[in-house]
Amino acid sequence: MRSTVIEFKNIHLNFNDRSIIQNLSLKINQGDKVVLSGKSGCGKSSLLSLLLGFITPREGKVFFDGAVVDEKTVWDVRKRIAYIDQDTSLGSGTVHDLLVFVSGLKINAHLNFAVNDLMKLFELNFEVIHKNIKELSGGERQRLAIVIAVLLNRDVFFLDEITASLDKHLKKKVADFFLNREDWTCVVVSHDPVWTENSAVRVFDFEEKKWKH
Amino acid sequence: METLDIPVLSLAVAFLLLIIPVAISFRYGLKLVTPLFVSVVRMSVQLALIGVFLKYLFIWNNPFVNIGWLTVMIVVAVFASVRSSSIKISRIFFPAFTSFFVATVSVVFYINTFVIPMDNIFDARYLIVLGGMLLGNSLRGNIVGISTFYRQLRTDSNHYLYVLSLGASHREALLPYLRESVQLALRPTLASMATMGIVTLPGMMTGVILGGASPEVAIKYQILIMIAIVVSTITSVVLTILFTMHVCIDKFGVLRADVFRNGKQVSSN
Repeated sequence: MRSTVIEFKNIHLNFNDRSIIQNLSLKINQGDKVVLSGKSGCGKSSLLSLLLGFITPREGKVFFDGAVVDEKTVWDVRKRIAYIDQDTSLGSGTVHDLLVFVSGLKINAHLNFAVNDLMKLFELNFEVIHKNIKELSGGERQRLAIVIAVLLNRDVFFLDEITASLDKHLKKKVADFFLNREDWTCVVVSHDPVWTENSAVRVFDFEEKKWKH
Repeated sequence: METLDIPVLSLAVAFLLLIIPVAISFRYGLKLVTPLFVSVVRMSVQLALIGVFLKYLFIWNNPFVNIGWLTVMIVVAVFASVRSSSIKISRIFFPAFTSFFVATVSVVFYINTFVIPMDNIFDARYLIVLGGMLLGNSLRGNIVGISTFYRQLRTDSNHYLYVLSLGASHREALLPYLRESVQLALRPTLASMATMGIVTLPGMMTGVILGGASPEVAIKYQILIMIAIVVSTITSVVLTILFTMHVCIDKFGVLRADVFRNGKQVSSN
């Protein structure tokens, strides 16, 4: 039986005095491919911020690998997760600067940052490496964020609307890439049917707080 | 060589020069007359009062009084530098005070102990005057340093959080902001040092020469002062950022919204 990697237990979250999430409980197991469905603004993306310790719940607890996510454990949790959102803020230098910075982080010291194959896979022209990140199109930035997330060699992925600015065949390619890896745990926030078409995916209705299938 | 005293009436003649900025302000509608008037009056009154105060301070020359006055100067400098940032002064007063105190006092005592041949390292003429000069520069450096650091962290918060999400340590995530802030804070001091003697004849050196010392002595003091300024400025800026970080950034590595004057709480705890 696969172990539980992420658990949100009785979560209540407020944002500027407005209640965003009320009494949410959700368990995600190792290797699960989960799509969170629900209207925009219902708090799906906030789950990731909770897990990464960027916000704290009014009530409830978040667990990662059985341990409560708190100010001590959150630093290790961040080393296990790769996170991409629809407009990941990659900074203002060149793509090369960013890759040097990310590969220079202590946690990534042992990794092989061979970007070529992944850039080719996601149809990202290698010449972008010398471009300023601000000059890239939305789709290029999106694919660059995906390349970096994969290079990090993590086993839990939080993918927040990552196919929003990609064309149809790239959407399918990206979705298949993540969903076909059995060992990866993927939590996806997306309105795009390309994710839910895959039979491996379980859909959690965020508003009803129950599994759809 | 004796200093030529300026009669009070002659000093009043110097004020006539202010007609020029007033005329320029009227001519171009700069609306600078009121702030100029306020600043000139404040400067004159403050200096007149401090002149009297320093006179007695130098006569008493009591180590405790001297240290006490230096502490008051540091408190004022901390208020002035923090006020220019958007952080609530009540939250970072003590860390900022500690960094200013450590940076200023350690450099002044180093100079008074190892550089200037003097018997009393608490001598008001050196402790207060050197301390004031270092504080003035630390103040300018910190105004740039603190406000740049926290403004950048705030405006760039999405990227900062992204870097944390990559598994960066606290230090790794904050280092780029620290670097940029310290470089910006030091830039005027370094530029001024690089052009000194060619573009600028510093006020301190001018003062020492006008005070009767030879240019050779004045230059030695000026070199000493510039080294002290650059050391105390960089030390105080770095320490202020490092010490205030513990108050302004929580243990999750996230910038606290409630330390800012116009901050809103992001999540309810």
